[in-house]
Amino acid sequence: MKDLDLYGKLVDLYAGDELPTELRDELEAAAYGNAELSHEMATLKRTVELVRGTPRPDFTEESFHRILMRLYTRGVPPQPTAPTPSHLQYRLPISG
Amino acid sequence: MRESVCMSSESPQDTLAERRWLSALAKGDPSALGGLYEIYGERIFRYTFRMLGNRSDAEDATAETFLRVLRRSTELRADGAFRTWIFRIARNLCIDRMRQHKLLDLPADAQYASGEDRTALKVAVHQALGDLPQEYREPLILCDLEEISAKEAAEVLRISVPALKSRLYRGRRALRDKLGEAIDKT
Repeated sequence: MKDLDLYGKLVDLYAGDELPTELRDELEAAAYGNAELSHEMATLKRTVELVRGTPRPDFTEESFHRILMRLYTRGVPPQPTAPTPSHLQYRLPISG
Repeated sequence: MRESVCMSSESPQDTLAERRWLSALAKGDPSALGGLYEIYGERIFRYTFRMLGNRSDAEDATAETFLRVLRRSTELRADGAFRTWIFRIARNLCIDRMRQHKLLDLPADAQYASGEDRTALKVAVHQALGDLPQEYREPLILCDLEEISAKEAAEVLRISVPALKSRLYRGRRALRDKLGEAIDKT
């Protein structure tokens, strides 16, 4: 039981890339002959990768200005240093 | 090993600018709010969008967050605590709004980004995240999506770091279980 708990904690750290390289390599070696542990490590790591790879909500120029307008209508005159941050003004056609 | 990221999208220039704007705001200059909005507006919007699931509510919550920053500017401290403080304000607003949604049963707008990103698996991950209990979802949003350090995420949620990590790890496992076969196929 203690072994299972320990492996569980190590797998949690492994999935989040929180293990030092040496320990990570040792855990991967231990999983080599252990299908259950190997599956646990692979699926949890993949889950974390998928979550971290979730697309970011797009903060558009329109949203930037709508939020400013909401502040104006509530009587607060925020004055950004530029009309629109440059990274919101220009969309480069880069994909992948 | 993944580095422990602390509000990773901020540059040293942002930190300097943040101090300048906080100092100006503490002296009663409301225009400093615009500077803080430039630094934190996108992050607060992204966080509120992920918490609430739709753009319009996220825009409202972001605006309200900055209004509260202004109203409570006498409490400001330019010692790094501002980041957790503003996220905590945003979180409280989101929780209030989520309670209203529950009462009104408003549908979420799941559209995060452009169409090409919305593959079936990504949609499944998004839906599974949305289905997680709040105590698991919040650490995932803060640590895995917004890349906030465990220490700061714990401060935002007002829990200890071990409790945060426990929820984070359980949340990841719960999400993995929800995704089920979809994970095995990838």
